[in-house]
Amino acid sequence: MDQPSEKPIGDATNRGEQEQKHIGPISPVSQRTVSSTPSTRLTFGVIAARFMLALLCGVSLFLSVLPAGHVAARTALLVAAVVSASEPAPLLLLGDPVQHIQKTIPSPEGTVYLDIYEPATPVPLLPGVREGLVIIPGVGDNRQDPQLINLSLALAHSGIVVENITTPTLINNDISAGDSDAVVQAFTFLSHWPGVGADRVGIAGFSGGGSLACLAAADPRIGDRVSFLALFGTYFNAETVLRAYGRRAITVDGHTVPWYPSQYPLQVLADVMADGLPPGDGSLLVSAFVLGGKPLIGKELMQMSPSAVAAYHLLKGDEPNRVQENIVALSPQLHTLLNMLSPSSVITKIHAPIYLLHSRDDSSLPVTESQVFAATLARIHHPYDFVQFGIFQHVQVEANPSITQLLSDAPSLFRVLYEVLLPGS
Amino acid sequence: MLALSFFWLLLGLLIGLLAVSAQCWPASWARKKWPALLCIGALAAFCGGWLGTLLLGRFFASGVAVWLAVLCVVVLPWLVVWMQKKRESLSPHGTRRSD
Repeated sequence: MDQPSEKPIGDATNRGEQEQKHIGPISPVSQRTVSSTPSTRLTFGVIAARFMLALLCGVSLFLSVLPAGHVAARTALLVAAVVSASEPAPLLLLGDPVQHIQKTIPSPEGTVYLDIYEPATPVPLLPGVREGLVIIPGVGDNRQDPQLINLSLALAHSGIVVENITTPTLINNDISAGDSDAVVQAFTFLSHWPGVGADRVGIAGFSGGGSLACLAAADPRIGDRVSFLALFGTYFNAETVLRAYGRRAITVDGHTVPWYPSQYPLQVLADVMADGLPPGDGSLLVSAFVLGGKPLIGKELMQMSPSAVAAYHLLKGDEPNRVQENIVALSPQLHTLLNMLSPSSVITKIHAPIYLLHSRDDSSLPVTESQVFAATLARIHHPYDFVQFGIFQHVQVEANPSITQLLSDAPSLFRVLYEVLLPGS
Repeated sequence: MLALSFFWLLLGLLIGLLAVSAQCWPASWARKKWPALLCIGALAAFCGGWLGTLLLGRFFASGVAVWLAVLCVVVLPWLVVWMQKKRESLSPHGTRRSD
């Protein structure tokens, strides 16, 4: 193996002997100089090349064979895809081509709409090698949202089968605890998808979809099979959200700071609470919070039940000093409804590890919700992680995040995405 | 897949070049060691890529292509020499020649 490296030395020695014959004896010092220099250079180059080969072999073996390597490779490209809100070129070159399939399945609450993004290549020979992810992309019809499509495509390019689900209730800007059954059906459906490992399916809930993800993960039919639960910009307790809306303030690290919710979550919560109010009161409440809706006047408020009036003031935020009284004034039905939609009510029934992600400046659901969620998980010793971001606004990547913000958030995003994908791998 | 196949071939050629720099050939290989290592690298990466696609999916196939190519350019030349020597030692011609 070392023959080539010896040859130049031999050549040099021969040259030295020839020189010796022609110009007479040379000193040992000059002999050493002639013979050792090429040999040293060659050895360094060989060692460097061998080191490079060993490194290439080790890294590629790690990334392609070990589960931790699979996740690291996926996560690196996913972070790039999420942060840039586009598909990076290496993902397009190295990843699988993707096909989009639309399906519907029945559930007691109505039709469940599924948008499945899966690798278009044949199913790998190793059984159940593909990971599955059920995404509940929040309230409203988000199926055509560019960032959701980008995330789904990026995940599918990296070999994960993604199933985005929505229901008629969610499309109508409402949340119903009954829709958790739709999530259970969708989870079971994905578990039986060709190539997907039944024990490699997780659930991700965005915004209001997080509560449905928690309710489904607590369901005994699938509870033990959910490999992870990722909740992005979600709430822990619907009643504490209502308090924050009523106060127009949140308490962070013991300090009360002003906080103003955007219009859409107020409309959603009005829709939710209308389900627990008499029909007339519900309609009035909803009309006040739809886009372009007008505030209710005294006459209209007089017609409403005390519970509906309290709900109105809490959502309107016009009685920040009477939040506790208004919460107490809500009917038992409303309290029950809000409790049923709260992950806090089922937290002890969830077995899967929970990963919480929240935007620091979230104007839809306050970051304090995830902080309390994380504190509760820590108290009950449930496996979890919690990351706060600055590059997101609610669940959307901000248009032009600063470089410093990107650099500070990217490692956290990598860490939590790595953790999210690891149980499924 | 065509672009990816060419990518794997290119990757294999680069690994072959690196193996040449690393002098991953047996002492008995006097001639044509450069083309041999380049061919081994390219072929191994190509086969590794397709094998990875079949077993693990396209996303991890390039990783399989790389480590299989490295393994082949390092091990295969020595394996070939070892097999040749073994064949020579077993062959009756070799015995007669030594006599």
